[in-house]
Amino acid sequence: MPKPTKGPRLGGGPAHERLMLANLAAALFTHKRITTTETKAKRLRPVAERLVTFAKRGDLHARRRVMGIISDKSVVHELFTEIAPLVAEREGGYTRIIKTGYRKGDNAPMAVIELVLEPVTPKVKSAKKSAAAQPVATEAPAEEAPVEETAADETVVADDAAEADTSAAATDEAAADEKADDAK
Amino acid sequence: MAVPKRKKSRANTHARRSQWKAEVPTLVKTVENGKVTYSLPHRAKVVEDSAGTALFLEYKGRKVADV
Repeated sequence: MPKPTKGPRLGGGPAHERLMLANLAAALFTHKRITTTETKAKRLRPVAERLVTFAKRGDLHARRRVMGIISDKSVVHELFTEIAPLVAEREGGYTRIIKTGYRKGDNAPMAVIELVLEPVTPKVKSAKKSAAAQPVATEAPAEEAPVEETAADETVVADDAAEADTSAAATDEAAADEKADDAK
Repeated sequence: MAVPKRKKSRANTHARRSQWKAEVPTLVKTVENGKVTYSLPHRAKVVEDSAGTALFLEYKGRKVADV
């Protein structure tokens, strides 16, 4: 869910902002790439991506939710039938914002916002990282048990707490050493 | 209508105006074809042909927009 925006709305009022963002989203889905100010592009991103998520769901309820925002039926149809299949594999991040420069006239920072319609190229995990991830996952349940035991010991032997602490610290260190060895 | 009680002194006016300063933008230094260029970070660049006419905007090796 997008984070609600704080501060003043675009265009002077909440209703005006809703309308502007809906129109910008419709323009983005028809043209796939639009040039606008940086602020508007940044505000448009969560709105447009949420609509794409609805389109990926693809059922009638989702379609009605989108129709509530974008009033143009043909745009909604295009979104559901053409754009949604292209981003089916993509897990979020359906838009890309690129800052282009400053507008002549009012020096407003401009940006190009476009739909990311290229096929997804999965990031190649480095061999080190994937190798490290597996042993940790297998170790975790085994390690939890001794830690709990030491904690229980401390509560039982409350009188000689100092001794328990030192012993617990010793066991912790040993566990840490084991972990380090395993990691190696 | 509220009106100023006193004339604003020249010193006050000048002191106010002297506070308006230009800021130095942070630029990134890149070497292109042996030529050092400074540009704004995270911003599309204009690609020019040999004659110096602007062709299109480029960012991360991708054509972004027409000029």
